[in-house]
Amino acid sequence: MVSDKLKKVILAQLKLDDWDIVDGTTADTVPGWDSLTHAGLICAVEDAYRIRFRASEIVRLKNVGQLQELVDRKTAERTA
Amino acid sequence: MREGEFDIRPDTAVWDHWRRHAEETPDEEAIVHVAVGDEPRRWRWGELVQASSSAARRLAEAGVGAGDVCALIIRHSEYFYPVYLAVSSLGALPAVLAYPNARLHADKFREGLRGMSSRSGLDHILTERDLLETVTPLVSGAESTVRDVLLPLEWFRAGDSWAGPIVRHPPTDGSDPCLLQHSSGTTGLQKAVVLSHRAILEHVRRYAEAISLTRRDKVVSWLPLYHDMGLIAAFYLPLTCGVPLVQLSPMEWVTSPALLLSTLSSEGGTLCWLPNFAYNLMAERVREEDLAGVRLDSVRLLVNCSEPVRAESHDGFHRRFGRYGLRREALGACYAMAETTFAVTQSVPGREARSLNLDRAELSRGNAVPLPDSAAGRRSVSSGVPVSGCAVRVVDESRREVPPGRIGEIAISSSSLFDGYRNYPEKTAEVLEAGWYYSGDYGFVKDGECYVVGRKKDLIIAAGNNIYPEDVEDAAGKVRGVIPGRVVAFGVEDESVGTEVLCVIAETEAEAEKDRKALRLAILQAGMAIDVSVARVYLVPPRWLIKSSSGKPARSANRTRALGELTPV
Repeated sequence: MVSDKLKKVILAQLKLDDWDIVDGTTADTVPGWDSLTHAGLICAVEDAYRIRFRASEIVRLKNVGQLQELVDRKTAERTA
Repeated sequence: MREGEFDIRPDTAVWDHWRRHAEETPDEEAIVHVAVGDEPRRWRWGELVQASSSAARRLAEAGVGAGDVCALIIRHSEYFYPVYLAVSSLGALPAVLAYPNARLHADKFREGLRGMSSRSGLDHILTERDLLETVTPLVSGAESTVRDVLLPLEWFRAGDSWAGPIVRHPPTDGSDPCLLQHSSGTTGLQKAVVLSHRAILEHVRRYAEAISLTRRDKVVSWLPLYHDMGLIAAFYLPLTCGVPLVQLSPMEWVTSPALLLSTLSSEGGTLCWLPNFAYNLMAERVREEDLAGVRLDSVRLLVNCSEPVRAESHDGFHRRFGRYGLRREALGACYAMAETTFAVTQSVPGREARSLNLDRAELSRGNAVPLPDSAAGRRSVSSGVPVSGCAVRVVDESRREVPPGRIGEIAISSSSLFDGYRNYPEKTAEVLEAGWYYSGDYGFVKDGECYVVGRKKDLIIAAGNNIYPEDVEDAAGKVRGVIPGRVVAFGVEDESVGTEVLCVIAETEAEAEKDRKALRLAILQAGMAIDVSVARVYLVPPRWLIKSSSGKPARSANRTRALGELTPV
């Protein structure tokens, strides 16, 4: 499930007050989330969680649910 | 043959050159297809032309013949290349179109194709199964010229031998049409540039000279092939000269910009064409940890093209990647357009593109007056000197040449000039006169070098994509709460991203903060439905917009007023 923290990071980066962001949400359904803003959004997520993604991990992401799973895994690795 | 010289005869077909490479150097790499997570697919000339001939036989059986227009709407795939080459081998005209983003409404996508069909006479759509439902209605549609939808990727399987004779192109003296090139946007899809084999081959030969291309070069590109820079500079040029091309996915690159740098390093790439925003994106978004082991010493020329070239973008890029071996003199630039096949001017290889620090006050009066580098001014980057066969002149509104240093419209004559917009004589007549193409770009010439400083047309170029303001105004004008017809769309340079961003001014009676925020969101969504990203929305009261003499809101005047007076919602 998409956490409130991740949702807040995404909305803040896209300058949206609110938007329904769930596991199945894809970038193309969210206003302002396009190919140019994507890289900045990923950096914002990395900074918010103090984690780093590899290029191959980012390219494979299909929706926000997968981004959340990746964040959870990276966060667990960092704290392990 | 000496290195640096390529045996290119303009009275042949492009396919003849590809076939010759297969005969003479069958084991040399032609295209390296890179997809993240997979081993690169290395097409060698022999198997590429063999696979293309196999696909050509299937296309011919399906009824594709010389002169037919084939739209290729295919995502990044290792089998795209033999399909493209196959279409060309039959004397048919390939037209690569962007695969629709999921946010683009299917009706809007079909509308664009229908416009292309009525204007260009689209005969066949070559696409993927995922798009079948969307495009099939075009086959039976009234007034549609589309005869069938083919799924050519499904003809290929790994391990196929593709046995059979190599296809021969129908005889040509080079004057036959070779391909159609469309600019993006729903309006633009109806304006196709037709290029002959001769125009392309002439251009490849001359442009190869201009960039001192040799057989030791290797092109690395993420550019989409529906764009002239991707198709001509980074596809036809290397393939026709027998220089290897390493092709990345545009989507994978923009998602992970370090991919281009790591590929240049691992493949020993020497040449790359990029729109200006790419320099900013990579300088700002690539992480140090993604550059472990990366070296850019092999890169001899990065060509900045398709958007206004910004000195700050070159500076930032070199500041960031100089320590990885990127040489300052590799930062080149080019001025190009589909109507002249591609390049008009090119910076000199081995020397960084020149720049001038211009007096802003004089610039506003139409004069390019250089200041010392230390003075406060506007830096303008040269796009280089004319490629052989091209001439540039700068003209006033009456199309009379202006003195050097005076800013005016750039007009071009070229040995690779297009044959006109397909079935669009009135549009062709607007821009072509006595062998000169009137570009709609503003610039000046100094010391033989061409500087582009602005645009006469209202076209917006955001991240290398052409956006027609009419399309955006039409979409935003239909949003509930916006006064119909009272919308203006324009572009504004955003230095942080190194490109233009799209802005919309809309008249509305909404006053409550909540209603205005909802309206902004609805305008963003209207943009999404035509696959454009609106960056800023300005909401204004009724009768705020300035009208032109024709009664329509004037873009330029409203842009100036909005930027001076308003804050985006």
